[in-house]
Amino acid sequence: MLLYSLIFPIISIMAIVWFVFRYLKGKNSIFTTVLWTLFWIIVAIFSLFPNSSNQFAKLVGITRGLDFIIILVFIILFYTVLRLYFIVDKLQNDLNTVVKQVAIQNEITLDDEEE
Amino acid sequence: MEYEITAEDKDATYVVLPAYNEATRIQPVIEDIAAKGYNMVIVNDGSTDNTLDVILESKRKYPNQIHVFSLMINRGVGIATQTGFDAVLKFNPKYVVSMDSDGQHSADDLDAVIMPLVTGQAQAVIGVRPLEDMPRSRNYANAIMNLLTKIFYRVDVSDSQTGFRAITREALEKITINATGYLISSEFIREINDNDIPFAEVPIKTIYTPETQAKGTNTTAAIKILLQMIKHQF
Repeated sequence: MLLYSLIFPIISIMAIVWFVFRYLKGKNSIFTTVLWTLFWIIVAIFSLFPNSSNQFAKLVGITRGLDFIIILVFIILFYTVLRLYFIVDKLQNDLNTVVKQVAIQNEITLDDEEE
Repeated sequence: MEYEITAEDKDATYVVLPAYNEATRIQPVIEDIAAKGYNMVIVNDGSTDNTLDVILESKRKYPNQIHVFSLMINRGVGIATQTGFDAVLKFNPKYVVSMDSDGQHSADDLDAVIMPLVTGQAQAVIGVRPLEDMPRSRNYANAIMNLLTKIFYRVDVSDSQTGFRAITREALEKITINATGYLISSEFIREINDNDIPFAEVPIKTIYTPETQAKGTNTTAAIKILLQMIKHQF
């Protein structure tokens, strides 16, 4: 058995447990939990049975299993970056609102400076 | 007979000045405006130099005409102007003007810019910079931004990137500005157009110095504006 066939399934199990715990604590949505669980199951399957990637590849019309894995990783990375972009965008908007409100509620007077 | 701006008109006008690291340039701008009898709402945009101290020094000379607000951190000219537009409503103005605080606009143009509002000819005004005064690089950039404003916002104006604008209180309450950076210029025009607010263009003087040219809509800002315009289509 190759080393990665041992390490990746262990990482997958840990990741799935972590996502389930986060879901139970209300930090993840069910959609995110299911999506990442599926991803880690696929990672575990591919590391235990490397040739199975060929079967998945054929399902979507890709000839080589490795190409399928690379495309899958690209899709997941793109999705993650896009989600992060929306999160940062929302945080920026929230920050702008807070900074604006604080400024409007605290007009600076000459007394402030003397204090 | 031609109307002349009265002291009451000036008293009912508030000039919004967003300021970011303008310690070396803002004092004459503030004091020129104050000497003409206009009120001001100055927003320090999280400056890292002593802009706020300089502003307060001017406030000491004109305590009743100058109102100062300060953003804790730098959030861009759009947010600073939005803050000024929101804060100015506390003072119940009739007319609101926004100008750049780096000295590229002249306080001498204030009367002409608010004139269409006072006489009821328009509810919003944009100060148009003469093309011949503009450096050539700025001229091309401006032509491109005017074209983009026409394509994305469907408004044809002579100067879409001007920072000198005026609006009545009623019209200001109708428009919604979301831009954080220099997109505010085009967004202001779009909002005026979308809300069917009658507007006028007034020629203004522009004082270009190496410092004022370093700021404003450069290539990077223009690309950012383009991306934001595309984003706003969705």
